[in-house]
Amino acid sequence: MSILAYNGGAMVAMKGENCVSIATDRRFGIQAQTIATNFEKVFQMGPHLYVGLPGLATDTQTVMEKLRFRKNLYELKENRLMSPKVFAAMLSNLLYEKRFGPFFVEPVVAGLMPKTYEPYICNMDLIGCINPPNDFVVGGTASAQLYGMCEALWEPNLGPEDLFETTSQALINAFDRDAISGWGATVYIIEKDKVTIKNLKTRMD
Amino acid sequence: MFATENAYYPDYSTKPIQHSFSPYADNGGSVVAIAGDDFVVVGADTRLSAGFSIYTREQNKLFPLSNTTVLGCSGCWCDTLTLTRILKSRMQMYHQEHNKVMSTTACAQMLSTMLYYKRFFPYYISNILVGLDNEGKGCIYSYDPIGHCEKTTYRAGGSAGALLQPLLDNQIGQKNLTKVSAESITQEKALAILKDVFISAAERDIYTGDNVMINIITKDGIKEDNFELRKD
Amino acid sequence: MSLADICNISDYDSNRGTKNDFHQMCTNFTSNMSLGVPPFANAVANIGNMAKDDSGRSIKINFDHGTTTLGFMYKGGVVLAVDSRATGGQFIGSQTMKKIVEINDFLLGTLAGGAADCVYWDRVLAKQCRMYELRNRERISVAAASKLMANMVYNYKGMGLSMGMMLAGWDKRGPQLYYVDSDGTRTPGKVFSVGSGSIYAMGVLDSGYKWDLTDDEAYDLGRRSIYHATHRDAYSGGIVRVYHMKETGWVHIDNNDCNDLHYKYKAEKEDLENTII
Repeated sequence: MSILAYNGGAMVAMKGENCVSIATDRRFGIQAQTIATNFEKVFQMGPHLYVGLPGLATDTQTVMEKLRFRKNLYELKENRLMSPKVFAAMLSNLLYEKRFGPFFVEPVVAGLMPKTYEPYICNMDLIGCINPPNDFVVGGTASAQLYGMCEALWEPNLGPEDLFETTSQALINAFDRDAISGWGATVYIIEKDKVTIKNLKTRMD
Repeated sequence: MFATENAYYPDYSTKPIQHSFSPYADNGGSVVAIAGDDFVVVGADTRLSAGFSIYTREQNKLFPLSNTTVLGCSGCWCDTLTLTRILKSRMQMYHQEHNKVMSTTACAQMLSTMLYYKRFFPYYISNILVGLDNEGKGCIYSYDPIGHCEKTTYRAGGSAGALLQPLLDNQIGQKNLTKVSAESITQEKALAILKDVFISAAERDIYTGDNVMINIITKDGIKEDNFELRKD
Repeated sequence: MSLADICNISDYDSNRGTKNDFHQMCTNFTSNMSLGVPPFANAVANIGNMAKDDSGRSIKINFDHGTTTLGFMYKGGVVLAVDSRATGGQFIGSQTMKKIVEINDFLLGTLAGGAADCVYWDRVLAKQCRMYELRNRERISVAAASKLMANMVYNYKGMGLSMGMMLAGWDKRGPQLYYVDSDGTRTPGKVFSVGSGSIYAMGVLDSGYKWDLTDDEAYDLGRRSIYHATHRDAYSGGIVRVYHMKETGWVHIDNNDCNDLHYKYKAEKEDLENTII
């Protein structure tokens, strides 16, 4: 069994019309055993910037701390907010530093570019190869199921409400077919002047 | 010294050569089936591949066993050929012994037993058997490689099975929807969903593509249909 | 022809594999216990080495695996409760699998482990039980049925069969509950739980179990135990099915979706907390 599937977890991010979404399940488990159902895998890194770190739970937390440290240092030095693009590049660098002993996370970045508020999403593999598509990105153990769902449900120029509906349906139906993710879900809708966070009611088995 | 030099010239190596027996191949392919009150539709892509190469773009993976029964296979093609050959022989023997065509339900049980015969050296196939039951209702039986069988009303199997099954849960099983309609699915809607899910699968699964062969089974017999997918 | 007769091999042709291979490829149709043998020694160890294609890519043969089941005896008979999830690897193949097999009106079998293994051998057992009835003009005892099962699977010990089943029944000696598994273990008992979620189910079951349960209490205990197992165990879930073995035969009590049970139990718990305060 892969180390990436030791704790389980599913994640998806989508682009909409002037908004982006990122959604995750809430399970923390050790293989088959569910330990907690309120585990955070998505972290706020700026007013319009979120990062999700599905994979090995210990590395999720370590990488998050390292990222926050580097991002804060950047913001103090430069006296400006870090854009999602720069953040992704920094994360990619951080992961590649450990090329031969990697952190077992497959990050997902979602945010709006400062000033222009242009949507940005990307994901990368565990050694930091960035993939910034125009539609959606997925990560975690239910990625095959998520690809199938997103490929059918996603369409261009979704408004915030439609984006929320599409993202939640994609995530919930995908992890309902994955044994080691689920147990609740959180959806973040990031818009220019507000960020909406919703917890979803899902199957708990 | 010699040992390291010989490593570059395997033909001159004095080390024993390790041979291995690899009877299985994954030839990919996906099968999707949707059943309604008086019909069942089943589709399979027509790409036959191995690793990153494509053997053919026009391999039919649906096997009509009778006027009301069709088997869809994906996985190891050589196993599929053997299995379907034996299955067809058995169907014919049944016909000649009992002077009637084997029903879909009987065929479903027979397939399960045949798959279990090879419990210790399994057929590497994901099977989906569809047909009309004794009351004329559409039914689908899906199998694991050693013959565990389950009756369902919709199913995706093969290389894109994991991608498509949640989509069918949502679109046909109406899972996680607040507004649930009690109406049963129509043939037109089933066909439309079938086409949509194959288009999605072809985007993300490299083993699925080229064409989709569809069989529509009603009391009037089996009707064939066909539509194109991306070919890259 | 005559030479063949002299040599006593006149049926040589019909036994030859190539000509009649569709007979040879399903000998279990006529003799349920004769399964195909793999073309190499030590199947359990070697099947893994073969699961690679020509280019060395690994081929995953994922069998459906069944999971949490429980059964207990109390004053009213035997209660069986099971979940309904089938998992192949991490993928949930089905949420509606039937893990209780109705062998006959007075015999139920639960299945955990390899789904195909359990279903196939339960079917063979059902046939043998029926044959026994026809030969002896009485129903088979649960002890005898479970022994038939244990003996059949014992012949395949070490070949990789995976099954842990409970047989519940009511015969002339009263209610019976046996545990049989693919190692050949066979033992009677009052409380069993089998499968990957069994540790969680057993925790709930043991704390609520007593001989003098009423029928409804017994059903609820079984249901709750399975529900808690589905909540903690990733490979259990779907629907909770409850069966009751009575003197008059088995009765299917009900099916409950785990999702409904979760929010029902949650509401009950919150109500209780509010009344205490």
